[in-house]
Amino acid sequence: MRKTLTLLVASTALTAVIGTTGWSAMSAAPDGSPRPFAAIFEDAAQTIPLVLTSDDDDDRNWRDGSRRGDDDDDDDDDCEDDKDDDDCRGGARNPAPAGTVAPPQNGLFGNGAPPQVQVN
Amino acid sequence: MTLKSLLATLALTTALTLPGLAMAKPVTLTTTLNNYGGDGAYLALYVTDASGAYVGSLWMAGGKSKYYEHLSDWYRATGGDTAQVNGITGASVGAGRTLEITLDLADALFDAGYTLHINAAVEDMRDSPNEVAVPLTTDGAGTSVAGRRYVASFAYDM
Repeated sequence: MRKTLTLLVASTALTAVIGTTGWSAMSAAPDGSPRPFAAIFEDAAQTIPLVLTSDDDDDRNWRDGSRRGDDDDDDDDDCEDDKDDDDCRGGARNPAPAGTVAPPQNGLFGNGAPPQVQVN
Repeated sequence: MTLKSLLATLALTTALTLPGLAMAKPVTLTTTLNNYGGDGAYLALYVTDASGAYVGSLWMAGGKSKYYEHLSDWYRATGGDTAQVNGITGASVGAGRTLEITLDLADALFDAGYTLHINAAVEDMRDSPNEVAVPLTTDGAGTSVAGRRYVASFAYDM
């Protein structure tokens, strides 16, 4: 048992030595000189890209800039991907466009011609 | 059917029809926007009575209800109820463009203390809840008024 453990430790140590030596050889400095083992890990740490986990404001839309907080904008973003916005704002549906239904019976409209709209 | 009963029927139908015709008339609301350099503006046109209470909406320019909260006075008055603008909703209006709406409006709206309001909002720009407020009077027809931020001019014509 003791013999097996000794063999295992020795083979592990040998593998580590051979591995690190080979790695150092492959990642030589630009001038061709060998580099210390620690320098490899320093390089690796420097090349790790900085990843921001919080979203930037740039892709938000309909900001107010005066009174509305981030929460509202986030809500808008959640809705933005919806192709039909029926589920937005707690289930509030978009209104029926003019011409598809009669105007509301709010006492303001007569029973004559339907609304006509033109944008110039 | 005798001639007398025919005339009576005609008189009755005429008497019933005429008041209906006289109670409303086409009114054109013309809103011209400034070149504010932003996306299309959402506009809510609505009416309040002499006490300032919301009576009803006349037009909503902009079809996505998720943005209506930016029309804050209208939204506060209606709770964002889209049924208020069913059938009177169109597209948002681009900067520098003119929105011309012709509606069949009740005569009772004029010279009775009612005020027409316009709320405006533009993406990534400041909201303008009190963009325009004009009393609805027959004398005021054809008179152009300026808005506060996005509306260059507004007028109603009968």
